[in-house]
Amino acid sequence: MAYAYLFKYIIIGDTGVGKSCLLLQFTDKRFQPVHDLTIGVEFGARMITIDGKQIKLQIWDTAGQESFRSITRSYYRGAAGALLVYDITRRDTFNHLTTWLEDARQHSNSNMVIMLIGNKSDLESRREVKKEEGEAFAREHGLIFMETSAKTASNVEEAFINTAKEIYEKIQEGVFDINNEANGIKIGPQHGATNATHAGNQGGQQAGGGCC
Amino acid sequence: MLTRVKSAVANFMGGIMAGSSGSEHGGGGGGCGGSDLPLRFPYGRPEFLGLSQDEVECSADHIARPILILKETRRLPWATGYAEVINAGKSTHNEDQASCEVLTVKKKAGAVTSTPNRNSKRRSSLPNGEGLQLKENSESDGVSCHYWSLFDGHAGSGAAVVASRLLQHHVAEQLQDLVEILKNSAVLPPTCLGEEPETTPAPSRTLTRAASLRGGVGAPGSPSAPPTRFFTEKKIPHECLVIGALESAFREMDLQIERERSCYNISGGCTALIVVCLLGKLYVANAGDSRAIIIRNGEIIPMSSEFTPETERQRLQYLAFMQPHLLGNEFTHLEFPRRVQRKELGKKMLYRDFNMTGWAYKTIEDDDLKFPLIYGEGKKARVMATIGVTRGLGDHDLKVHDSNIYIKPFLSSAPEVRVYDLSKYEHGADDVLILATDGLWDVLSNEEVAEAITQFLPNCDPDDPHRYTLAAQDLVMRARGVLKDRGWRISNDRLGSGDDISVYVIPLIHGNKLS
Repeated sequence: MAYAYLFKYIIIGDTGVGKSCLLLQFTDKRFQPVHDLTIGVEFGARMITIDGKQIKLQIWDTAGQESFRSITRSYYRGAAGALLVYDITRRDTFNHLTTWLEDARQHSNSNMVIMLIGNKSDLESRREVKKEEGEAFAREHGLIFMETSAKTASNVEEAFINTAKEIYEKIQEGVFDINNEANGIKIGPQHGATNATHAGNQGGQQAGGGCC
Repeated sequence: MLTRVKSAVANFMGGIMAGSSGSEHGGGGGGCGGSDLPLRFPYGRPEFLGLSQDEVECSADHIARPILILKETRRLPWATGYAEVINAGKSTHNEDQASCEVLTVKKKAGAVTSTPNRNSKRRSSLPNGEGLQLKENSESDGVSCHYWSLFDGHAGSGAAVVASRLLQHHVAEQLQDLVEILKNSAVLPPTCLGEEPETTPAPSRTLTRAASLRGGVGAPGSPSAPPTRFFTEKKIPHECLVIGALESAFREMDLQIERERSCYNISGGCTALIVVCLLGKLYVANAGDSRAIIIRNGEIIPMSSEFTPETERQRLQYLAFMQPHLLGNEFTHLEFPRRVQRKELGKKMLYRDFNMTGWAYKTIEDDDLKFPLIYGEGKKARVMATIGVTRGLGDHDLKVHDSNIYIKPFLSSAPEVRVYDLSKYEHGADDVLILATDGLWDVLSNEEVAEAITQFLPNCDPDDPHRYTLAAQDLVMRARGVLKDRGWRISNDRLGSGDDISVYVIPLIHGNKLS
């Protein structure tokens, strides 16, 4: 399907925080309580609309285990957005955020948008990390923050879409060099084409982009 | 349905074309040739990876180069491990291909079962568009045969994709007539079918399809008594029939590509490395520069050799010597240590011909100024400045750049087949057969691969179903390396492989369980 932009995301964080479940909830709108350990990298994709434009999200779901860290690290490059996930019911996954963030900053391009996600918000009774702590960490490191539940789907859409909005704004501001694919952004095949070719779903895109 | 009719027609057309093609390499006229033709199969990654279109798109990332592995939910026969990575940008697609199946070979023509490892309802692809039906039931008089394949495409992905879908059917077809003979291991294969006393005369079985179409002319099996012989006779062991069947399968596959390219767009060519496990023996057939090694108890047992302009120099030179027109008056079949310069005419220079492994001096003549048939060293060695691999499938339309000289006559589809008797050895959980394309072997030696495996596997849970896939992923990671400021780097800051890399890790312990 045609898109105006393609954004590449990467999902990172400790093993068992719910990375694969977040992806599955976002792409397939379902929750799988028992999920095999991710041992390499898995992919998902979904189309979203921002500012009247079709944007394709290409999402890389990585292995959280320490033994796969060197492989995971090599996937940061060429990502426009990262979802850094911890589990609000396991403090150690929150404590490891600094390491993950260092890794991400070191191996990605400097403009990568990072969304901090406290997952499993449905398990309020087992909460070990306060929402305020997550907010404070995000503020301190210049990240966007949300608590989500891959199980109830709470905030999952928002997490992925808000990240995309942030990337989109950066594009509008000219922060991203969109012609360099190493930034994790691709311009869609029909972008910049004249309206004459497709009168259908993408027809108004040029005009829409111009007046907003 | 429509596509099946189309393909039947295409096969028919292909058959006709093949009969009259010969030197005719259709240059794009009359709707045949060129890339307006449909693909024989759509491009994709190996079927057993089960990737969606989106996932295939994600995997083709030349910047991050994701290592694809067998998904957690999928299994290959023998718990085989697999991992692959795309090149660093030399071609849009990953041009390696692979397939893995359990084939059930039955003696009756028309009963070859192909059981893809995933439970798809896809009908098995047919080598000739005719009836090899799927049959679910017994293996009572059939033989089950494990099949792994690896192809490294060049100049397009078409040939590799086609070979990954169809070569297994040619293998099954070649083996089906041999099933009864192979199962009867106590008796050597009959030299002439229909003559053995214990074989009931059954002409219909011994007939090839072609012969039966010809109306049975020349059909053996007339019920006369076997004549007394006074001459010696070679004893042909069973495994040599399997070797012969694999060699024929490669040839048939290549001929099919040649036929079908008049009606399909089958781009480029490919190397082919396959492993067939049949009746307790592994048969490793290789045409090209992929490689197979067994690592048993830390010891390396090479199971293939590479076919490159350097390793096949004498064959190529001899062919050019016998058929100089194949060189199109542009190349010399002789080898010199470097290009000969015009000012050196009349001087004596070192050279070697097809009959030599050593070097000698000859007086430089005009003809010696031509570009050498084989030029370059190591990975840069090329046949007629064009191709760096001398055996494989496809490449029927490959020509020397800007000329009308075809490369194909110099390429051979014949594999070298090596046999490994699984039952002769006890295998542990860490004894494996490694198959990989040159992307791996270009940067890692056999010893380094063996060391990596003997380090990795003992540290995995022996019951982890993914351990061999993780080992394959580890090997691909070691060969790909990490992208640094100065390109992809591996251990000791050596250059990593920028090529497509595909690796199977096949545990041999499962082979022992079979027998």
